[in-house]
Amino acid sequence: MPEIFIDDVRYEYEKPQKVLQFMLDNGLDLPFFCYHPSLSIPANCRQCLVQAGTPVRSRETGELELDEEGNPQIRFFPKMMTSCSLDMADGMVVKSHKTSELVKRAQADNLEFILINHPLDCPICDQAGECPLQIQTYKYGPEGSRFEHKKVHKPKMYQLGPRVVLDAERCINCTRCVRFTEEISKTNQLSIISRGDKNYPMTFPGETFDDPYSMNTVDICPVGALTSADFRFKARVWEMNQTPNLDVTNGKGCNVDIWTRDNIVMRITPRYNEQVNDYWMPDAGRLGYTFINENRVSKPHIRLDGKEQAKTSWNNALLTFAEKIQEFNPDEFLLLGSAYAPVEDNYAFAKFFSDLGQADVHFAPHIIPGSGDNLLLSDDQAPNTNGCRYLDFNETDEKQLATELKSDKYKVVVILSDDLLGRSYFDEKLLDDKFVITFATNHSATTMASDLVIPITCSAEHAASYVNIDGRIQRTTPAKETLYTSRRLNLEMSLARLDHYGTKFDNWVKDENRVDCIPAWEFIVRVAGELGRDIKYTSSREILTEVSDTISTFNGVTYQQMDDEGGILLQSTAKVTQ
Amino acid sequence: MSKDWKSYKPLLLPDIQNLSSIGVYEKNDGYKALKDVLKNKKKWTPENVTNEVKNAGLRGRGGAGFSTGMKWSFMPKPDGGPRYLAANGDESEPGTFKDRQIFEDNPHLFIEGAIIAAYAMSIDVVYVYIRGEYRPYLRMLQKAVDDAYDKGYIGKNILGSGIDVEMQLHMGAGAYICGEESSLMESLEGKRGYPRVKPPFPAQKGLWGRPTTINNIETLANVPLIMKNGADWYKKIGAEGHAGPVLYGISGHVNRPGVYEYPSGMLITDLIDEVAGGIRGGKKLKAVIPGGSSTPPLTAEAVQGTAMDADSLREVGTMMGTAGLVVMDEDTDIVDVVTRISHFYHHESCGQCTPCRDGTGWLENTLQKINRGDGEMRDLDLLLNICNQMEGRTICALADAAAWPVRFSIDRFRADFEAKCKKTVYALS
Repeated sequence: MPEIFIDDVRYEYEKPQKVLQFMLDNGLDLPFFCYHPSLSIPANCRQCLVQAGTPVRSRETGELELDEEGNPQIRFFPKMMTSCSLDMADGMVVKSHKTSELVKRAQADNLEFILINHPLDCPICDQAGECPLQIQTYKYGPEGSRFEHKKVHKPKMYQLGPRVVLDAERCINCTRCVRFTEEISKTNQLSIISRGDKNYPMTFPGETFDDPYSMNTVDICPVGALTSADFRFKARVWEMNQTPNLDVTNGKGCNVDIWTRDNIVMRITPRYNEQVNDYWMPDAGRLGYTFINENRVSKPHIRLDGKEQAKTSWNNALLTFAEKIQEFNPDEFLLLGSAYAPVEDNYAFAKFFSDLGQADVHFAPHIIPGSGDNLLLSDDQAPNTNGCRYLDFNETDEKQLATELKSDKYKVVVILSDDLLGRSYFDEKLLDDKFVITFATNHSATTMASDLVIPITCSAEHAASYVNIDGRIQRTTPAKETLYTSRRLNLEMSLARLDHYGTKFDNWVKDENRVDCIPAWEFIVRVAGELGRDIKYTSSREILTEVSDTISTFNGVTYQQMDDEGGILLQSTAKVTQ
Repeated sequence: MSKDWKSYKPLLLPDIQNLSSIGVYEKNDGYKALKDVLKNKKKWTPENVTNEVKNAGLRGRGGAGFSTGMKWSFMPKPDGGPRYLAANGDESEPGTFKDRQIFEDNPHLFIEGAIIAAYAMSIDVVYVYIRGEYRPYLRMLQKAVDDAYDKGYIGKNILGSGIDVEMQLHMGAGAYICGEESSLMESLEGKRGYPRVKPPFPAQKGLWGRPTTINNIETLANVPLIMKNGADWYKKIGAEGHAGPVLYGISGHVNRPGVYEYPSGMLITDLIDEVAGGIRGGKKLKAVIPGGSSTPPLTAEAVQGTAMDADSLREVGTMMGTAGLVVMDEDTDIVDVVTRISHFYHHESCGQCTPCRDGTGWLENTLQKINRGDGEMRDLDLLLNICNQMEGRTICALADAAAWPVRFSIDRFRADFEAKCKKTVYALS
């Protein structure tokens, strides 16, 4: 097997790749700025320089030439090479800062150059704390600067587009943003303008940077030059909890991190998953976090005799629900599962009613043809359409549902977390003579038309799985506390510095941002208990275990495996459409 | 070199009236080399033409001085796809103004050379990249190209030989960096003039990913001379190892600045005193930049007995570059000169690589400081240090080109720099 020697350590490799990527894959540290695994390699930051050499081979025999001690002779490249663009070769010798003074000095020299025109405004810069330039300067940089002249001045606070703000002085011209618009989103909206130390990225004259993926440039910017118009100056990164989660604003299920502070979601950033979204996500998914913070249904709501809804106790909601179950025959219930709710909630919902005798569960897919693209936006607006299909729910459409509602067959309509009225799926009048129970995360037209509203957790508050448009099942982890969960007690929730070292009395921790809601399955379990039924789940994990045991499509699926493998592609016989 | 340079008859820019018109050029054996080659395709196979140029010892006139025939031989075998020749007429190095003389006085010699080169490398398209500021010369060359098209020296089926070569002129937008071969290609492709990372080299992946050779205008103008008179004849012109006529662009404090054609290996003193009519006002020589602003300057002592060829110049620690000599008399303020040169490289750095982007600005700022009298002794060490940090760490050679004049000026004229710096007394620690 071919081998390579990095800092006197021997490594074997199968497929030659670039030296920098190989080093990163093997956990070796090397500073770099312009290189990005998913973009082309411009080798322009010059930070990843290494000394490299290849063994000398005899011209005649092709054999390795040996020195006096019998080791292969190495011919070093006359100049230091950028490891990001250097192809590996059998027997190659690479010296990084660990073994080469020259490389170590070159790294410090380069950082000194980068910093002479960098504003060094870390205390007010959003990137501070997660800034490659800051981190690498601490690790590899010079002790100080010898630069005594005026820095170059460039535009600051320039609104490149609706979602991205440029501070050109911070820019180190790595061209990652330019390459992103050229190679990934393919809008070609950015270019570097001007020359030398005066250059910076800019749109073409008269254009705005309104790329639907524009905010990815904020993530890949190795400094604070590109900042999110939405997140700017809102929070410091070290104050936030970072929790792996999913983008539930469309069917692709981009892997994301949810960043919360004091139980409020501050921003959403993409999380690397090669099989789903690589390093990217659409802007819409990032800005779609407001539904988690705002307009939440907190505490059950019940319609009194008049028109008004009022908050009520969980106990009352429970009793009302149980009462309706006892009052009507099972086949008088119209059940609407939801592509917006996770597999576990849908399963528990269906299981509860089929146990009572109503096995017929409908769901209404939310697909807007033409709203997707070939990258990460899908026509499907809901995160779990395939999950409902795999659970064998009846896929319904507007006409069919209206017919069902017009018939006298149904007296009670139970809607699981889907704003059907909000998206004008049917006429509100059709619900007039029915008792409507809605499980909902947010207030909506549907909850307004309901007689009983059960507040449930959203994707940021529960551990639950969703099946994306490609049939991949992935899961969320709770990022935000509800009134009944605690970050310190829930092992799944991430703990930030403040959670570790802060106290309950720190003035930035408030309880008012916790929503009074529970997972839909938990409410169902409680109702089942009230009715003396045998449905006793204690966690969503337990439900998924049952799903994987009983439904062949989900066979063998576990949270552990989803976490380890970045989701599991389900092999289904059910029809998978986009 | 032979001492009979005074009897040398110019070959690139012969003393013939209206040579730029195609009729006059044809009357003076113009396009004869091309005809010979294309008529005897058996004798002059593309490989043989390449070998002839290689044997003649022609070295590139654009600055690096690489063997032209060798460069041509790097082109891979034709695979049916397009191949390109880019003729580099982007001369923007301060002190260099030779290619425009060819555009003006003998454009057909260049065209003939370019077509022969295209034939030798089985190239079907020649791009001529002309400096953005050379608008009048573009017009002159365009006229010559149009005439050559009309006469069938360029285009489809050249002179009935079945060889097709198209020639396209392209005007730069005024960036020095586009004279660097890989950014020239980027610019030709319509992109921002950023040098490319090598490898791949242009011969493997050049314009639009296809095999490409980039040659200087003057280099290509030498090709018809070789093909007309043979490699052995050519090899005898000028210095050994750096054969051929050279267009010396002499500027600065001389009585008759201008472009002069003489064999390579001319003594610098001959060029200054005899060719260019001596130093203005009878002053003494202080310094000479031998080949455009990026080549290290020479002191008056080093100039004595030094000839203009690659080997001799290497011995005294400089380079042939483009043979654009800048002569400076004893009144010259070297610090001021280097500051101006540094300003140029600061302004022209493309900004791609960190060391060059930020280093050139730092160099200029520090030199400005010294030049206006605010400098301190330690600034000189800082300058040398910045040069160390820039050299050899960038994609292209512009960082080197920016650092060398500074480094070698301080090395060779340190007293001038120290005189401009404040006398600083350091406390003993």
